[in-house]
Amino acid sequence: MEFLNTIDKKVKEGRVEGVDKVTGKGKFAAEYTVENVCYAVLVGANIPAGKITSFNLDQAKQVSGVLDILTHLHRPEVPGFATEELIKSSRFGLPIFHTDQVYFKGQPIALVIADTLEDATYSASLVEVQYAATPFRVDFDAARETVGLTEAGKERGAMAAWANAPHTVEEEYNIKSQVHNPMEMHATIAQWTANDRLVLHDKNQGVNNVQNVFANLLKIPKENIEVFSEFVGGGFGSGLRVWPHALAAILGAKQVNRPVKLMLTRPQMFAGTGYRPASWQKIKIGADASGKFQGIFHQAKNATSLYENFNDGITRVTRLIYDFENLKAEAAIVPLNLSAPTWMRGPGDCTGDFAIESAIDELSYKLGIDPVELRLKNLAIATNPETKLPWSTNFLNECVMQGAERINWSERKSQPGQLVDGDWSTGYGMAVGAWNAGRGNASAAIKMERDGTITVQTAMTDIGTGTGTGMVNIAHDTTGIPKEKIKIELGHSSLPPAPSQGGSNGLSSVSGAVVAVSLALKLKLAEFAASQNEIYKTAKEEEILLSENGLSFQKNNQHFISYADIWSKNGLTMVEVEASSGPGTERQKYSFCSSAAHFCKLKVNTKTGKVKLERMICIADGGKIVNDQAAANQMSGAAVGGIGMTLMEEQQIDTRLGGLIADDLAGYHFAVNADAPIIEVGFIGKPDPNINPTGAKGLGEVGIIGTAPAIANAIYNAIGKRFRDLPITPDKILLG
Amino acid sequence: MRPFSFTKIDNAANALAAKKEKSQFIAGGTNLVDLMKKNIAQPEQVLDVTTALSSEIEDFTKGIRIGAMARNSALTTNAIVLEKYPLVSKAVLAGASPQIRNMASTAGNLLQRTRCPYFYDVTTACNKRKPNSGCSALEGENRMSAVIGYSEQCVAVHPSDLCVALAALDAKVNIENSKNKKSVISFGDFHRLPGNEPNRDNNLPENALITSVEIPSNGFQKHSAYLKIRDRDSYAFALVSVAAALELQGTRIVAARLASGGVAHKPWRWYDAEAFLKGKEATAANFSEAANIAVQDLKPLAHNGFKKEMLQGAIATALQQCLTV
Amino acid sequence: MSKESTYSRRAFLKASGAFVMLASIPYSLKAMYVDVDKLTVVPKQALSITVSINKKSYSVPADTRTTLLDLLREELHLTGAKKGCDHGQCGACTVHVDGERVLSCLTLSAMIQGKEVTTIEGLADGEKLHPMQQAFIECDGFQCGYCTPGQIMSAVACVKEGHTGSVAEIKEFMSGNLCRCGAYNGIVQSIQKVANA
Repeated sequence: MEFLNTIDKKVKEGRVEGVDKVTGKGKFAAEYTVENVCYAVLVGANIPAGKITSFNLDQAKQVSGVLDILTHLHRPEVPGFATEELIKSSRFGLPIFHTDQVYFKGQPIALVIADTLEDATYSASLVEVQYAATPFRVDFDAARETVGLTEAGKERGAMAAWANAPHTVEEEYNIKSQVHNPMEMHATIAQWTANDRLVLHDKNQGVNNVQNVFANLLKIPKENIEVFSEFVGGGFGSGLRVWPHALAAILGAKQVNRPVKLMLTRPQMFAGTGYRPASWQKIKIGADASGKFQGIFHQAKNATSLYENFNDGITRVTRLIYDFENLKAEAAIVPLNLSAPTWMRGPGDCTGDFAIESAIDELSYKLGIDPVELRLKNLAIATNPETKLPWSTNFLNECVMQGAERINWSERKSQPGQLVDGDWSTGYGMAVGAWNAGRGNASAAIKMERDGTITVQTAMTDIGTGTGTGMVNIAHDTTGIPKEKIKIELGHSSLPPAPSQGGSNGLSSVSGAVVAVSLALKLKLAEFAASQNEIYKTAKEEEILLSENGLSFQKNNQHFISYADIWSKNGLTMVEVEASSGPGTERQKYSFCSSAAHFCKLKVNTKTGKVKLERMICIADGGKIVNDQAAANQMSGAAVGGIGMTLMEEQQIDTRLGGLIADDLAGYHFAVNADAPIIEVGFIGKPDPNINPTGAKGLGEVGIIGTAPAIANAIYNAIGKRFRDLPITPDKILLG
Repeated sequence: MRPFSFTKIDNAANALAAKKEKSQFIAGGTNLVDLMKKNIAQPEQVLDVTTALSSEIEDFTKGIRIGAMARNSALTTNAIVLEKYPLVSKAVLAGASPQIRNMASTAGNLLQRTRCPYFYDVTTACNKRKPNSGCSALEGENRMSAVIGYSEQCVAVHPSDLCVALAALDAKVNIENSKNKKSVISFGDFHRLPGNEPNRDNNLPENALITSVEIPSNGFQKHSAYLKIRDRDSYAFALVSVAAALELQGTRIVAARLASGGVAHKPWRWYDAEAFLKGKEATAANFSEAANIAVQDLKPLAHNGFKKEMLQGAIATALQQCLTV
Repeated sequence: MSKESTYSRRAFLKASGAFVMLASIPYSLKAMYVDVDKLTVVPKQALSITVSINKKSYSVPADTRTTLLDLLREELHLTGAKKGCDHGQCGACTVHVDGERVLSCLTLSAMIQGKEVTTIEGLADGEKLHPMQQAFIECDGFQCGYCTPGQIMSAVACVKEGHTGSVAEIKEFMSGNLCRCGAYNGIVQSIQKVANA
């Protein structure tokens, strides 16, 4: 029996919500029991561009149990869509049911509401729509030629300075559109409890964002909008936006005066909840004979929709990782008759990083310098090359060295195609990635009961990142209260506000709040305790020690006062504290980044085009690791996502018909269990002393930024074919 | 999904008697329910034949008889299949997922419909789904489409893995019609090429049921392989697949069978390559030559030219695997 | 006109009368809403389903179109089995029927008459978790948890079927259960743990 070679696991107790998830008890958005609920199904446009001229709903309405059918001709008014100006300033994107324009195939144009899901689904299939079709364009490769580039960020140095660089690589890179496809399809149960009061059970990554968006659109106070997102079945960015279907459910519920449940179908997920847009890039990189980079010229274009602009920020990462004098970046967006794209795991950076890290690998062969050495020579380890501020911490060089050692990099051959066994060729590849480590303002509250049980609360969602478990660990570390007495409540809008879970900011933001509220709890308890023992009057946070049943001064059981005592003396039922925390002046002194090095060993079958990954290693600098097991899981999961991005993920588009095809989980492939080796994860584990009180930097993105080039570079090392377009499917391997 | 009536039937004769024009038999349901949800199949009446037909796998002197209702998973665990017809088991294991294999029936596997994305998308033209509406794949996204035996009307491929093995092993399909008349269709004649009637996948008469599939005994127990190339390692339809079987005397090939999925509207036999191999030594050079012969007549479409190289490689590799697996 | 359709027509008109914020509708389209003379829509058909789920017997009326997955989730409020694609492409809806792992989204409720269905809700022995559930917690065999019930039902079957001989074998026989979080490390480890116990 083989055994797993992952990081040492100290934590055996599992996640706080573990039992709910393994027993099926945890309720995801569409799973709450809401009395008198009815079902809604969206109808999509059948053409990619044009105008709706009429609906024929005769047949659809004959279906038993149909309550109503919403269209732009028949729906409650959305105040935030009352004028074109309001639509634009709402920044909602598609003004669902408030336009007769069709911008893309699959655009939701009607909503059937019925007593049962079966009836609503059947009725939706009978809705007939007449259109006046207009010309469309969905072909990114053709359309991008017509869009000019403009400067993306400030130019550093000058192009002329490295015009005569002795070693250059200049190549183009194309990546097909990828789709988030969280396993839980987006869903909303909308319930109006009064004319201006709304309860939503919704799949999203940030309940406060949902509240704000709908308060603005519906012109009702945000306090009147209650959002439950206690269990979120993945997001990867798709839940950072509020999408039209959620508004459709709200309008439907208004119209039929009943709670409405709407779950998107899987094909509707492809055109309804964003995607990573198709991209084109051109990289020119120059180096001197020693391998020191002299300059990079990075150009990028990404697809967007006709009704909303989206710039993926592809060239951003080029400013972050390496130290060199001359940088010029240009970008453009290419509007197409497709739905709006959005941030997807490692947005922009994992696209840009593929091009940069592929080009550097190519350069390493030209220079005759080992790719590991070439990275170490050029990494910007001390200072952020863009802001010139010192990195608070950056151990990417250590990540590279640890990864190289772990995969036995010395066994890699410096020339491709040297490790051959029959039809199989083995290769090694590596790449690095980095991500600006952010932090937002977040609040948390603690409720403490007489028996010492505390409940830590925040509105932040846990989309699988282990936020809740991390909060338990932080609260335990800060207060001393044992983990089994710490409960978590999150993902609900009435809890203390927090930013959305995304961009690797979740734990970084909320951890500060949990530390702050834990300290506030200590002080609050000391305040009560002071009436019994004066020593607590002036006690500082670090002098107050909390245990299972009481507090002590400076060391355990010194001046011990039990919670029961405090509760009795003060006539308490519950002690409640709330605190906020956010970034401060440290951001003027330092730059912050998370980073990772990715290593890969694989073999390629030169007869069949099959790629078999043998080892994937990811070593990350995420500051302090608050929860080893969940953090390793997140890293390895991101690497699995990276395998998909590299080898198989592609949203196919029929450029003649103007729409997506094969838009389901049989047609759009992402990695199954068999595609991934056991991913090996390691952490540097050194706390960042400045980013937040815990020293934890985010990890969600760096696990996927660099996976694709590591694999593509290994394929080159195996067979000597350089793939600059993703995905690298078996057919491309054979014909490449 | 369109409403329908549902009736459970207890034997084949009653099933055939109950069948009307817009009736549909259901067994595993793994394809039919999917198609009904997509409004591609719209039966008015669904007849459940799961207990009406045999699920037995019987060994008889001249071969093996697999009941229509034998689950795909049964073909991967049955001792007779594993011992005497291992190619069948290998092919089944390359298809779908364990859950689907537990549900899907043998007869249903033969009757599953193409996975051409246009067939599945009711907003597009498809002659197989809606006769005379056109073929969107012919000049569309046809990377997965046929490279041989197609027509202007349809370039879809048959999605089954099991059927590729059954084609290679010269299986026979036993059927029964509404007059209780039993007859046999040889496997090669069971599935059709699209021609001008791409809506018809096979030659099963309108009012008939598959009762069992027979595989004649053969000498391929020791040397067979099923190789499937797909966009991911598992749970995906084939770009191309190859069923290969050799009967050897020492190192000489007495008989060879080669069939492929992912290349045509029906499981495709490479007869010329088989004929070439007969009597030859089982060497890499001969396997390569057989592969070359096989792909000579391919006529790839705009986006599936790669299938030629891929098939060539896959056939040679599968033959090689016959010697080791 | 069938009775059911007539009824639904009226129900619709009644609902229309209660609209609070109707947008302006052109006359011609308004007319379209009420003038229905052609009926090609088929009325739904119901049947009574008797089935044992997690050793509890249920007798429920169901639309012939209702899948086992929708019966569980929408009628019986057993939401452990998940809808991830509704077309047999993801495995999130995996349950056991008569002890074997199957996809509930492709199973018509009508076809499970008299059968024994086990869902994730029926896996634990009262408060005591099934060893596979315990292993998934200990090995962190999930992130978001949405595919998890399907993974666990599939994993239990995978062990029972004996497909645990190697990492590669586990991976192949668990590939019918997609996990977009990519928690495959922990899933494999959980299965090894139970298989080796």
